[in-house]
Amino acid sequence: MTEPNNTGMTRRGAMGAIAAFAMLAQSRMASAAEGEGLKIAVIEALSGPQASSGMLFLSGIEYGTRKINQAGGFNGKDVEIVSYDNAGTSTGASSRFQQAVADGCHLIVMGSSSAIVSQLSEDARKHALRNPETPMILINVGSGALAMTGERCHFHNFRMFPIASMSVAALTKVMGDEGTLGKKVFTINQDYSWGQEFQAAVEGRAAQGDFKLVGSVLHDVNRIQDFSPYVAQIKASGADTVLTGNWSNDLLLLIKACADASLGVRFGTCFLDQPGNIGNAGVSALGHYVSTLSNCELNPEFAEDFRSEMGHYPVYNETGATVGMGFLAAALASMEPGETVDVEAIGLAMEQTEVEGDNGLQSMRAEDHQFVTPLVVSRVDREAKYPADDTDMGFLPVARVSAEELIYPVQDSCQMPRPT
Amino acid sequence: MDFLLISLLNGIVYGLLLFMVSAGLTLIFGMMGVLNFAHASFYMLGAYLAYAISGHLGFWAGVVIAPLLVAFAGVLTERYLLRRVHAFGHGHELLLTFGLALVIEEGIKLFFGNFPVNYTLPTQLDFSAFALSGMSYPFYRLFIAMIAVAMFAILYLLLKHTRTGLIVRAAERAPAMAQALGHNVPMIFTGVFALGAGLAGLAGAIAGAFYPTSPTMALDLGAIVFVVVVVGGLGSVAGSLIASLGIGVLTSLTVGMSFRLADLASTIGLGDWAREVGGLLTVPVSAVSGAVPFILMLVILLSRPAGILGARN
Repeated sequence: MTEPNNTGMTRRGAMGAIAAFAMLAQSRMASAAEGEGLKIAVIEALSGPQASSGMLFLSGIEYGTRKINQAGGFNGKDVEIVSYDNAGTSTGASSRFQQAVADGCHLIVMGSSSAIVSQLSEDARKHALRNPETPMILINVGSGALAMTGERCHFHNFRMFPIASMSVAALTKVMGDEGTLGKKVFTINQDYSWGQEFQAAVEGRAAQGDFKLVGSVLHDVNRIQDFSPYVAQIKASGADTVLTGNWSNDLLLLIKACADASLGVRFGTCFLDQPGNIGNAGVSALGHYVSTLSNCELNPEFAEDFRSEMGHYPVYNETGATVGMGFLAAALASMEPGETVDVEAIGLAMEQTEVEGDNGLQSMRAEDHQFVTPLVVSRVDREAKYPADDTDMGFLPVARVSAEELIYPVQDSCQMPRPT
Repeated sequence: MDFLLISLLNGIVYGLLLFMVSAGLTLIFGMMGVLNFAHASFYMLGAYLAYAISGHLGFWAGVVIAPLLVAFAGVLTERYLLRRVHAFGHGHELLLTFGLALVIEEGIKLFFGNFPVNYTLPTQLDFSAFALSGMSYPFYRLFIAMIAVAMFAILYLLLKHTRTGLIVRAAERAPAMAQALGHNVPMIFTGVFALGAGLAGLAGAIAGAFYPTSPTMALDLGAIVFVVVVVGGLGSVAGSLIASLGIGVLTSLTVGMSFRLADLASTIGLGDWAREVGGLLTVPVSAVSGAVPFILMLVILLSRPAGILGARN
């Protein structure tokens, strides 16, 4: 680094110049807009093993923020996003939360990992209790843990994601309508809250008589390298279809192991669209289903716009994050510009918002802050408009399932105190 | 019966894969006393290099060249990193390799991205070897097994029955004496480390085409290869083989068991009570099959601290 003296300017002179510039910038900004700007914290896993999904959430949220700003921002100012790296741990997330508080953020938008979402939700709850003047709202765009809208629900927590039973309902309905569900279904899931809830949802569907559940198994999360023993179990059960909430390696290894054994089962999944899955599974992925919030093929205009902003077509949880951000944008747009950012008012506005999205009519349930959203079920097909992983296959949207067919009753355990 | 047979076969093949990855680790520890945390990273490096090379020169070129490159990376690691901290003891070596593992992982993400890459089998290897009760068995699994068996045979013969093996073992037992007899001990250590790293690279190049090649593959296997090495006895190649096979078969068999502790209780009339208590008593064995290797490690450490074939210090 060169000393300021070498450039012909004294150290004090340089400092003075910077301060003057900062003051100039401030006065210009103050004259351009009256109100306080909205600050969104993105607390995601941006390093470590979970970084792959964290980065995609971030880019989806970034795109959504740009769209809000292109439409005029909030309170006449650009919405600012600040990203924090939680390194994939709850403790990291909690300390980043404090940092976000210190930086004056109003909202947190994030999606990776149920454990981290529940940590941040607790942090937001306590923060609102201790600082009723400056509460923060957590908008979770990626975790389906049931407790977040059950015994742990509170006003400052919003879930913009389906729970397991919604995804299972969408998958079984569309696969049933297509005649590809078959009579016998096997379900295999990761042994933690999400996987257990997925299994319970499949059992619930089977009890309604849609199909016969011929087997269900839970396994350790991301610790199994060899899925062939499970394949033998699926084979022995004689299943036509495997429904699974698995994600990441646990899904890819399972599908590959089934293909290697030439097991002709069809998969109904929630996370098959993760980059790398289709490329690795190859042609054996053809005909499998995935249930997601949306599919960019439903709106090619959005897909192209996303590409021109972010450099690639939206994939995986990027699409999901833009759905959540689109809903937030509609809520913000419905509000009158004010002097300051009223976080409680944003929360109340979200409860009142209805959006006709690419997937259908979306709304927010006031009782437990569950996103009442339609889902899109897609099939891996060569006809898809946007191929995945440099292959000739992609996700062809098969059907939209409306929100009222999917939404579950509010859990009794959710007793939400309203802001006064 | 077929189910049992398939499970056994699956377990053995998976065990042999584990052996392929852990052989280099136990070799390096046994001969040099270095607990190499970056070992699984060499495995990952092998898979990625093979993927990169196979895109240009074909699958077989990748399988041959990638392990050599990884071995060369091992030479550099030993010569310029490990040797410098060797004098400060095992703690420093451990921390250094731990850091190296992080660097390799982030480096891979930088070059190849965050998601699994499309490293897949060539079509001429992608066929089924035989079918058993309607399930075809991929030939490539058998291929992995054959490579692992060949690897064991060569390593075993090399160490126990050749002059090179004799000198290597001498350098480990009595480095000063071996040096005095005119052998270049530092060079031998470099060679052993390179061999260990190269074996991990070979395992990666071969297994990466079957299992996904992703930036988390080192982390996924990292813990389990340490379990294999500890159970087998640190430094014993034959012990590693036994441990890997044991772990593979046990994991594979427990997956199919829906047995619960509550079922055991019901044989003595306490079934209802056990189901009421719930918790651990009603967890099926299949749900904890991922923990089986770790339980095995605990049992071995408690009953036979040096491992199955490990020499007592």
